[in-house]
Order: sequence, then structure tokens, then C-alpha cells
Amino acid sequence: MGQIVLKDVVKKFGDTEVIPPLNLTIEEGEFAVFVGPSGCGKSTLLRLIAGLEDTTEGQVLIDGEDMTEVSPSKRGLAMVFQSYALYPHMTVRKNIAFPMRMAGMSEDEQNIRIEAAAKSLNLTDYLDRKPGQLSGGQRQRVAIGRAIVREPSAFLFDEPLSNLDAALRVGMRLEISEMHKRLKTTMIYVTHDQVEAMTMADRIVVLQAGVIEQVGTPLELYHSPRNKFVAGFIGSPKMNLLEGAEAQKHKAHTIGIRPEHIKVSTKAVKGAWKGTVGVAEHLGSDTFIHIHGVEGCDPMTVRAAGDVAVKHGDKVYLTPEKSQIHKFDEAGLRI
Amino acid sequence: MSSRRLPRLLQAPAVILLLFWMLVPLGMTLFFSFIRYVLASLNRPEWTTPSIDNWRGFGNYAFVLDSKDFLFAIQNSLLIVGGILFLTVFFGVMIAVLINKVFPGQGIVRVLLISPFFIMPAVNAVLWINMILDPVLGLNGLAIEGINSVIASMRDAPVVGWFFSLWPEFKPISFRATQTSAYAVIMMVTWQWTPFAVLIFMTSLQSEDEQQKEAAILDGAGKWSQFRFLTLPHLARPMAIVVMIQAIFHLSLYAEIEIVSRGNGNKNLPYLIGEFANNNIGAASATGIFAVILANIVAIFLLRAVGKTLME
Ligand SMILES: Nc1ncnc2c1ncn2[C@@H]1O[C@H](COP(=O)(O)OP(=O)(O)OP(=O)(O)O)[C@@H](O)[C@H]1O
Ligand SMILES: [Mg+2]
Repeated sequence: MGQIVLKDVVKKFGDTEVIPPLNLTIEEGEFAVFVGPSGCGKSTLLRLIAGLEDTTEGQVLIDGEDMTEVSPSKRGLAMVFQSYALYPHMTVRKNIAFPMRMAGMSEDEQNIRIEAAAKSLNLTDYLDRKPGQLSGGQRQRVAIGRAIVREPSAFLFDEPLSNLDAALRVGMRLEISEMHKRLKTTMIYVTHDQVEAMTMADRIVVLQAGVIEQVGTPLELYHSPRNKFVAGFIGSPKMNLLEGAEAQKHKAHTIGIRPEHIKVSTKAVKGAWKGTVGVAEHLGSDTFIHIHGVEGCDPMTVRAAGDVAVKHGDKVYLTPEKSQIHKFDEAGLRI
Repeated sequence: MSSRRLPRLLQAPAVILLLFWMLVPLGMTLFFSFIRYVLASLNRPEWTTPSIDNWRGFGNYAFVLDSKDFLFAIQNSLLIVGGILFLTVFFGVMIAVLINKVFPGQGIVRVLLISPFFIMPAVNAVLWINMILDPVLGLNGLAIEGINSVIASMRDAPVVGWFFSLWPEFKPISFRATQTSAYAVIMMVTWQWTPFAVLIFMTSLQSEDEQQKEAAILDGAGKWSQFRFLTLPHLARPMAIVVMIQAIFHLSLYAEIEIVSRGNGNKNLPYLIGEFANNNIGAASATGIFAVILANIVAIFLLRAVGKTLME
């Protein structure tokens, strides 16, 4: 259970149309990630699905049933918020029990589920604490626990990890992924984080100004972005986009080449692009080199494996991998 | 050494002033409570000057404890304070929750709601007892009269007339000179202080977390459950503040009691002090010490019950 269909959904706040007619199907058991620039309507979309916002037009179907007019609690969805939204006056146990209590479940059944959830989330020792006495990661686990015990048909996550530090984020990312593998429940996950999107998603939905730019598996988006926006948005560092003479050679308006698909050399190479090193960022495993002076793209970013000994002001020669060049027409669409 | 002495010296005037501020009145009250001291006495003119020679020991205390109004005054003090606290918190929460919603004219409604707080207690008492609670001229009398005349006219109505003819004639309640005068005081002070509670609860409601509410909605909590499990606990702290501040203020009510019934049928400790102080300063001082003790008991009780939420 847990197929979610958005059918011609429109959302307006007053006169501003945040989401123009939008169609999207999220399959049962799928891990769908919404990405897009800030303010593009990711949260709004999630809240429309949850029922926290009313659709202006269109329908939300869950498991084939029209849920557009159904109240949030009856949709069988659970949501995890960025700010955790725990109930501060209740202990962890009471927090997790709350949805079950509201559903009028028996105490015994509640306790069984609480213990199970606490065990799987490593919260057993904290059940009698209040949220204020927990770390950020623990709080987010309580929020997830509160969602799990409802056994929802789908989980909705709105940037659940963005308040956590980098190390904790990696850990929680894995925990959520594992939870998905175990529960096989539909999950919709909103994030800003490239790595989260690429690693967790079965399918990524790229949004811009409320419009779906592309839907596909992470590798589909990486290898064949449908347009310039998706090409620039997916992948880190960003894809280099070149216009002008260089693009003409490939009979395109714009060509794109990812930083990791460019070879860099300090010796002259025939037919290569020439440039000067601006900043070289040495990460140990990789070196990100920002290069000025390449015609049609300034600065151009190159990602070279390992430690490359270049410094500011060095002359370098760049050779793109021919097979990895993306071509776009005037409208920005992939050719 | 000198590095510590200088700051202490500089603090000293403030500390000494504060000490005098507190200790002198308290010390004088204590002293007066142990001596015979009256304002006028034909038989014993020596009692009219406070002097250690007139030492009476615990005599004043015994006198106060024996006086017929003492227990009644304590009882009434607690009744009045308790009644006001309960009602102001109850109405305060209700009104604050009600006007926390966005509606047209919100600003004006809020200002109007706050306005009773700016009326002088004595004026408030005069208005209430004469214009609202008066059994003849006040709203009280007019309303009962109106109800009675409606019932009287219904008695002649066909079909249902027999039902109304069973009804007695209602009598307006008199709020002066009986135990009901305490209820009058509770009503008027509640009216005056509810805005204070509303104000504090309203600011607190505005800091309530919206996402918590949304999470609760998704968890299946209805309006009542949201109020019961989120809003009420959220208001625990401001409630504690409202209760503490009001308890301190209302233990010393005076003007309302004076105006409603001049203490007939309704005295609290401060009023009793006032009565004794007409002549017997010794007894008044002893009552004052009892009032201090009562205030401390109430404070300790409140701190226990309420302080926990504040400390959390
Ligand atoms: N209640 C509201 N009233 C008016 N406009 C709103 C409201 N909520 C959101 N918007 C607008 O809708 C647009 C989408 O907002 P939304 O919160 O969905 O963005 P988002 O993609 O989640 O952004 P972020 O990544 O920063 O969280 C924004 O332009 C925002 O200003
Ligand atoms: Mg958002």
C-alpha cells in the first residue's frame, strides 16, 4: 500500500501560483526524493500530499482513492519535520505513543509498538526523558519513531536531517535508507543535499518554480539530464556549461561537461582548451580546480582524482571526454 | 584585600537602604504587636505612647485569635484569592485562545479587552456594586425584573401557560452586607484582572510552535486534544506566573471590600487590620504578623505546586 498520485494539482497562495498544474505518480514502496532550489515548492507539495494545505485545484489520490477532501489524519500518512516538532511536555514514550493514543489503541498494543520502535531506533534508554534532554539526532529519531508506530502507508520527510551536523547526517541517512529497505513503505523525502538525494532515492523529482523538470533514477539524471537546469542542478561540483564557438562545433547551442569528465594536464595537448588556474581545492581524494580563461565558460571547474600539483597562475590544458559531452538546444533542452 | 573592600563599600548604601526599607517596618510591627498601644484611651493614657513598659507578651495575639472575625477573615482571604485565581485563569485561557485566531477587528478587540485593567480598583468597585450588582437599580435588578415580567406574561399563554405558572417569582440577589458580598468582590476583581491573564496567555500563545500543531493534526489529534495536550501544557508556565503575581496582589485587597459592604459579612486579613487600627495598634500589628505568616504559607504552597513548572 502507498501509491500516491497527484493529478493536475494546482496551489495558489492568494494570487501567486506556487504550483502550476502538476502531475506525478509515486509508486508503492518507492523512495522518492524532491529536490530543487529554495522556494521552488517542495515543502508545499509535501504539505499538499499530507493534507496540511488544501489544493486549489486537482486531486490527490492515495492507493487509488481520492483523498483531496479527506482530513490529514485519515490519509494514513506520517510526516517528519525539519524542526522535529516533538511535544516538549511529554516524555519520549508519550511522544511516540501519542498517535496511537489518539487512535484509541490499547495500552498493551501501544507498549509493544513503542518497545519495538525504540529498539530499532536505539532509543530504549531515553524513553523516560523529555525532548529537551536529547541531542538533535536523538530527537529526530524520536520523530521518526512517532511516525513508524502509526504504520503509515507512506512517510513524508521535510528536510529531516538539515539541522544535524555532517557526521550525524551521514549516520541518519543510512538509518533511514535501511528503514526503507526493511519496511518497504513508500517514502517521500525533501532535501537540499545532493548526496542525500543521489544515495537514498529510487527516483529523484527535480522541481523548479513548482514545475517538475525531470523525474528519474539518480543515474538517469546524472547521465542524461533532460535540460540545462537539471544538468546544472544534479552533480557536485556543478556541470560546466559552454556556449558560443565551442558549442557550435558540436552543433549545439550549449554544451555541458561535468568536472569529473575533463582531463587536466600541465603539458601542451593538441586541440585542448587552455586556461589559468584560479583556485585549486585539495581534498586529498580529489582536487577541484577552478580555471579561468576558457572561452565560453568562466570559471571552468575540473575534478581530478587524487592530489594534482597545480597552483594559482599555472597554465593548464583541458581535454573533455568526447562521450560525456551533453548537448542542449536554444531552449535548453537536451539534444 | 582592598580590592574587595572598595566594591563592598560602594554597594553598602544600597544594601543598607534595602535593609532599613524591609527591617524597620517589620521590626516596628513586631514591636507594636507585643505591647499595649492604642490611639486613644481615657482610662489608661499611658497606653497611647508606644513604650516597652507596656509589654503585653503574646496578649495581642491571643486577643486577635479570640476575636470572632479572625478565622472568618482568614477563610475569606483564601476564598477570595482562590476564587479570583481560578476564574481569571479559566477565563484568561478561554479568551486568549479565542482571540488568538485571526479575525477582522482583532486589534480593537484586544485593546478593549485590556482596558478593564486600567480602571482604578475603587472605581471598578463602585461601578460594579451600583450599576451591575445593585438589586434594584443595577443590571442585576433590571434583569431579574425583566425575567419576572416575561414569565408573568407567559402565564397567560395558551398550552404552555400552566408550565410557567408553576414558576416562582425570582428575587434579585443582594450583594451587600451578607456572605454574598465576597462573591461580589470576586466578580469585580475577576473582571478587572482577567485582562492581565489574557495578556500574558496571549503572548505565550503566539510563541506556540505551529509545526507541533501540524504534527498533532497528522497524529489524529482533534481540536480538543490539541488544546488539552499541546496548548494547556504550553501555558503552564504563564499560568504559574499569573497565579503567583495575583496571589500576592489579592491577599491585600482592601478598596473593593470597603466599598461593597464596609466589611459587613466580608472581611479579609487586611480589612481586619484596618478595623483594629482604628484604635488598637497592638492588635492591628499582631494581625499584620498573622497576615505575613499566611502570605508565606500561601507562597510556599504555591511555590511547591507551581514552581516546579517554572523551574523546568
Ligand atoms: N503560507 C504561505 N503564504 C504565501 N506564500 C507561501 C506560503 N507558504 C509558502 N509560500 C510560498 O510558496 C513558495 C514555495 O514555498 P515552499 O516552502 O514550498 O518552498 P521550498 O521548496 O520548501 O523551499 P525551501 O527549500 O527553502 O524549504 C515560496 O515562494 C513561498 O514564498
Ligand atoms: Mg521547505
